[in-house]
Amino acid sequence: MIIFWGSIAVLVILAATFLIFYNRFVTLSQQIDNALSQIDVQLRKRSDLVPNLLSAVKGYMKHEKAVIKEVTDARKAMLSAKGMEKKVKAGNQMQEAIKSIFAIAEGYPDLKANTNFLQLQQELSAIEDKVAYARQYYNDGIMSYNVMTKKIPGMWFAKIYGFNEREYLKISEAAKAVPKVEF
Amino acid sequence: MKPTRLSFHDEIQKNKISSYLLITIILAVLLLLTYTIAYAIGGDYFFIILIIGIPLSIGYIVFGFYNSDKIAIKSANAKPANGPEYRQYHNIVEGLCIASGLPKPKLYVMHEQQINAFASGRDPKNAVICVTDGSLQKLTKQELEGVLAHELSHIANYDIRFMTLTAVLVGMIAIISEIFLRSLFWSSIGGSHDRENNNVVLMIIGIALAILAPIIVALVQLAISRKREYAADSSAVKFMRTPTGLIGALTKIKDNQPIKVSGAVAPLFLAKPSKAKEWFSTHPPLAERIAKLQRM
Repeated sequence: MIIFWGSIAVLVILAATFLIFYNRFVTLSQQIDNALSQIDVQLRKRSDLVPNLLSAVKGYMKHEKAVIKEVTDARKAMLSAKGMEKKVKAGNQMQEAIKSIFAIAEGYPDLKANTNFLQLQQELSAIEDKVAYARQYYNDGIMSYNVMTKKIPGMWFAKIYGFNEREYLKISEAAKAVPKVEF
Repeated sequence: MKPTRLSFHDEIQKNKISSYLLITIILAVLLLLTYTIAYAIGGDYFFIILIIGIPLSIGYIVFGFYNSDKIAIKSANAKPANGPEYRQYHNIVEGLCIASGLPKPKLYVMHEQQINAFASGRDPKNAVICVTDGSLQKLTKQELEGVLAHELSHIANYDIRFMTLTAVLVGMIAIISEIFLRSLFWSSIGGSHDRENNNVVLMIIGIALAILAPIIVALVQLAISRKREYAADSSAVKFMRTPTGLIGALTKIKDNQPIKVSGAVAPLFLAKPSKAKEWFSTHPPLAERIAKLQRM
């Protein structure tokens, strides 16, 4: 009798352990996917704001065609980009171009006082923060996931269920690029 | 110190387990208290009080639990943060929600000039955050972000659920003790001393418990509340990856005038709204919190 109930208890505990580890892996993978889709959403929002930004500055920046073109091109690249890495790269380029528009706007007091422009500026800088946070969340997610696949006992379950180690996105950090200063 | 790379889910798990543990302890004190009192009085009418009282208090817990967000908003007289002037407030919270993987809470403002904020709600899906006008005006963007990260940490760590439940249980113990002490007072005036011989010892234990139990559980509750504040500070740093903003905000709060709020919602605030002595305080001293943050 004791052996019977004992083996039932062991089986129940084993089944529960298998379930718990499976669920943890699923939760962690979902955190990673969720972070990626957050990055995607924010990049899309950024590119949606670009036409508004361009029309707000159009009247002022007649002589800054190069910058305007840079923004438009980056937006096109972003919209046609396939795969997260390319999207993020195009998004970074777009952000850089937008920043140079804001830098030029410093020279136009009327534009700087325009509420529409100010709102766009605030919104775009908020998006920049959100992209940074989404990437932080993504990196945290990958890290916890990979720690789980490497540590005992997570390692065993990762092998059983086929949850392989995941790679970090090769995203070039925009801030790392040294800005060109031209006179 | 590098931000502690503790997994978010482990922290929540620990918090949940310790909440259950604490609530079990408080429930045990509650049972012991009622049992001793019932025994001491002789059980004639105390059980009647319990039969009426327990469903009432359970109903009260359930109601308070499901409406904690609405109650806090009502008692703080907060208004929803709608309108373009609150755009930055919304943006910061949205960013922090992405950083923490939480759903966006409902945002409110309190028309007060002091710098303060609170969070409430039974779980992250039903959470609210409220800040004062003073915080929106006097804090820089980074400082405001620090404050909001702290409040969001309370939501992420399930602190509101935990503190609301303990507050309700501690309140119940206080009420039962009060009923007992009052009934003693009245019955001693009435002068019914039929069974005093065998009950004197129990009576004394009952009285001692009735006086001590509320104080002990209240102190336990306060100690835990202060610990949770430190935990929320460090989680805020985990979300923002820098303590600078929160340090700045806490430094500004040091010169704050206290806000008048009801004692029941005090543990939910960023900094303690009233001037209480440390042991009887819901929050650790600001100087100590700042010092801890500076070491991160």
